[in-house]
Amino acid sequence: MDKPIWGKITTDIKHSFYTPGSLRRKNDWLIKLRWIAIGAALVYALLVKSLLPEVIPLGNLLWVIAALGAINFLYFIFVKIRSPESLRSEEKLVSIQITTDLILLSFLIHFSGGLENPFNFFYIFHIIIASTIFAKPTHTFIVAIGVAILFTFLTVAEFTGLIHHYQISANSYTLIQLILALSGFYVTIFVSSYIGVTLMNRHRKVKNLIYAQNEELKKASETKMKFFRFVSHELKSPIVAVQSSINVIIDIMGDQVPEKALDMLGRARVRTRQMLAILKDLVDLSYDRPVSKNQGDLVNPCDFLGEFIDNERPRADEKKIKIVQNICSEKGELKIDRFVLEKIFSNLLSNAIRYTPAKGTVTIETEVDNYFWSFMIIDTGIGMSKADQVHVFEEFYRANNAKKFATIGTGLGLNIVKKMVENLGGYIELNSKIDHGTTIIVRIPVNE
Amino acid sequence: MAKKIMIIDDDIDLVEAMRITLESGGYEVIDAQEGNKGYEMLKSEQPDLLILDVMMGTQDEGFQLAYQIRSAAETSDIPIVMVTAVGAQTGFEFDPSKDENFLPVDEYLEKPVNPQALLDTVKRNLSIG
Repeated sequence: MDKPIWGKITTDIKHSFYTPGSLRRKNDWLIKLRWIAIGAALVYALLVKSLLPEVIPLGNLLWVIAALGAINFLYFIFVKIRSPESLRSEEKLVSIQITTDLILLSFLIHFSGGLENPFNFFYIFHIIIASTIFAKPTHTFIVAIGVAILFTFLTVAEFTGLIHHYQISANSYTLIQLILALSGFYVTIFVSSYIGVTLMNRHRKVKNLIYAQNEELKKASETKMKFFRFVSHELKSPIVAVQSSINVIIDIMGDQVPEKALDMLGRARVRTRQMLAILKDLVDLSYDRPVSKNQGDLVNPCDFLGEFIDNERPRADEKKIKIVQNICSEKGELKIDRFVLEKIFSNLLSNAIRYTPAKGTVTIETEVDNYFWSFMIIDTGIGMSKADQVHVFEEFYRANNAKKFATIGTGLGLNIVKKMVENLGGYIELNSKIDHGTTIIVRIPVNE
Repeated sequence: MAKKIMIIDDDIDLVEAMRITLESGGYEVIDAQEGNKGYEMLKSEQPDLLILDVMMGTQDEGFQLAYQIRSAAETSDIPIVMVTAVGAQTGFEFDPSKDENFLPVDEYLEKPVNPQALLDTVKRNLSIG
């Protein structure tokens, strides 16, 4: 039951879509539109003059067009030097623009035939424009009334001889014809107003609804993520305590514990580490926020990656894995969340190190062009089968050979990385061959 | 005489794990589970080093306490090692070389407690203090 009730539309004015800024954009739009209209009017003036050289006062038409140009230039300057102040001031500017347009349009129509000029339906455009701009339907109807008054005055004055009638048809019209034409005109403009206002009312309602629902969804999602983080933290505290206790038993009192018990505790320690890794990944997932694009600090990705590799080198050394780097040294910066970039690097590089057997090689390369900052990590590790490659970015998925090769791993890392990269507007590619190694390429768009 | 280490942490199991580790290293250990009480004890006992948990009770009780300790003349010289699971929790790694303006503590240590790392850290900070 969607009844358009005029009174209700006014509530839209309070809404965030109807702001001085949004009205200013409409004002800018009107000015742009008018430059086009001026060009079209010039063509029109020359056309009617060439068709009806006897009747049409080209000079007068050109004066009107020149006035339109001059006024539009003033508007153009005005919006350049004055920033939008209030709804009222911007509404006033729209009203002034529409009023001058209607008056000058009346002059154009007067100098090119008046009532007989078929271009008099150009008035309707202004009504449609008004309905799309003003939130209050009364504003649109005021414009319609203004149009009616102007056109009535123009045609009646021409008919009665109060002002000159540039007659473009063979015979002059009768009073009956005038009354019929004016009646048709009134109906047309008021029906147009009604349709325009109704459509815009619906449009605004839907827009508000979508906006409100979107806000609700965002809130709900944030609440969910907060809960997620809370749960992860609550789960973490006991595991941290358990692991700390196991560490102390193994490392400090190891000599007092039987060999077998020590072995069991060692296993327990591996499992608690695994649990902590999963919780850590879950927390990362809870920070999955699509707002990351173009947000954050200015980071030089080449330097950042270089520093990052230096920090990771000891871990590779531990496994006797050689790290070869061939990375960029450009000065450019990315606007990016440092934390996100670090997560991407650390997940991918630690994967490469984890799944590469001792004495293997991990190569890191970069590529910079106008659109993307890309890096690739090439390892000589265990690789993965085609079947596993299909699922490797899914949550909790771990390739079969990966499970055998390394017990610790949550199956969340690549999923997190993919989400983060996509949130940045980039993409990730993976090529792999079992027992030969894996190449991961990440492309991050360079911000404009 | 054995150096006196004080632990302020609301997780008694972690306190116990750290106590055993530190005692095995020949230190005397005292502890408190709560900020205000811990601060009073710190003033009266004047330990050689403080191990402080970041997230007790309220989210930043540990931080608040660290400021309080650093700004009071009678406690400002005590080295502080902050133990935290925050790094993993928020994704922000604490690094004293970058965060010294942010928080005047001497070193951060990640939970879960790694006994050797704890002993090394304590030893290092005692020698500086």
